[in-house]
Amino acid sequence: MSGAGGLAWRALHALVRALLCLHARSSRACAAARAAWRRRGPAHGGAARGRQRWRADGRALRKLPVHVGLVVTEEEPSYADMASLVVWCMAVGISYVSVYDHNGIFKRNNSRLMDEILKQQQELLGLDCSKYTVEFANQDKTGQVLNCQSTLKVLSPEDGKADIVKAAQNFCQLVAQQQRTHSDLDVNMLDNLLSSTNGFPDPDLVLKFGPVDSTLGFLPWHIRLTEIISLPSHLNISYEDFFSALHHYAACEQRWGK
Amino acid sequence: MSWIREGELSIIERFCANIIKAGPMPKHVAFIMDGNRRYAQKCHVERQQGHSQGFDKLAQTLRWCLNLGIREVTVYAFSIENFKRSKEEVDGLMDLARQKFSRLLEEQENLKKHGVCIRVLGDLPLLPVDIQELIAQAVLFNKLCFLNVCFAYTSRHEISNAVREMAWGVEQGLLEPRSELMAGCGSAPPPSFNLQP
Repeated sequence: MSGAGGLAWRALHALVRALLCLHARSSRACAAARAAWRRRGPAHGGAARGRQRWRADGRALRKLPVHVGLVVTEEEPSYADMASLVVWCMAVGISYVSVYDHNGIFKRNNSRLMDEILKQQQELLGLDCSKYTVEFANQDKTGQVLNCQSTLKVLSPEDGKADIVKAAQNFCQLVAQQQRTHSDLDVNMLDNLLSSTNGFPDPDLVLKFGPVDSTLGFLPWHIRLTEIISLPSHLNISYEDFFSALHHYAACEQRWGK
Repeated sequence: MSWIREGELSIIERFCANIIKAGPMPKHVAFIMDGNRRYAQKCHVERQQGHSQGFDKLAQTLRWCLNLGIREVTVYAFSIENFKRSKEEVDGLMDLARQKFSRLLEEQENLKKHGVCIRVLGDLPLLPVDIQELIAQAVLFNKLCFLNVCFAYTSRHEISNAVREMAWGVEQGLLEPRSELMAGCGSAPPPSFNLQP
């Protein structure tokens, strides 16, 4: 970069970065101020009241997503904040939740995330959490639970493009063994051959946290009709910010190409 | 109206372009042609007029990309999902496509001069036969810059078609089932970013 054009670009770039920095600091200050209130939820001293309100909140929305993807694009994910988000999803009545970060940190530390979720379930929803128990779809040790109303999957990039490649290779293996012909393969068949989201519907909504304007490889096949809502950060996220995003989703018009 | 609007940038546009070009530039930009009907409603004109003006703005945008040195542009013009629209609207869009692909044929010499490679991506057998024939004649294989027009397109159909072609290759004994080719398809790099109004 040289000359007047380069100088002008550098000046413009520095100005934009300064403005973004100021905005980020102001957002972090507001988020920190809400952090203490965040874990209590809406009703101080009453997990039972909180539970009722969360359910009522979910029912009050014109539409509630069936499957929400929580996608973190920040480099250092927070287990406590992600656990809050998962528990809030369960509390408002969302049936399927998936958690994703492009480094696969949550997936590698699945147990730690689960422990945090179980702890927050108890804290935010009270001791009687049998109605809200989450089934961990890709966890070996936790078995089926009665009255299970929510299912969680923890995903990483290997569940995205790599899963499509694996499905393609498996199909080609069947063709090589003459169990299938190439013309058998259509969109529905390839959809059935994918394994990363067995039993889960496609995400209706992705809440994307962080500054990166990309879903960074989250289930590229499955998000063709997904509404994507960006939030600045999952760190110190409040229930109000989360619910505001759900409200935004409820209000959006989806024409499905029509 | 030409696909790439003629005419150079104004002084102010040139000044802004020089500032932008001094920084990092995307190599590939994708445009999602959304909002034509909302625009038509806002301006109190027919939907067809909205689509036509959407194309005019695309032509202007392509000129900006050429001036800014962006070497590859992808345009999502018509999705397979859009066939669900009313017959009147789909027929109107097909008529617009006929006009524009015919215009592409007329401009071929000029596009060759600029080294523009035109590819049309999509499940083309879903389109009227005359449009398929126009597209077959309109595509160009130059190398300086690339315009990919996604027409009768969805990503799932594209991926499925690619896998089906590889399966055909395996059937013919040209490919191994576990071929590394499956992990890296296509000759175009992914878009640096997508623009959707």
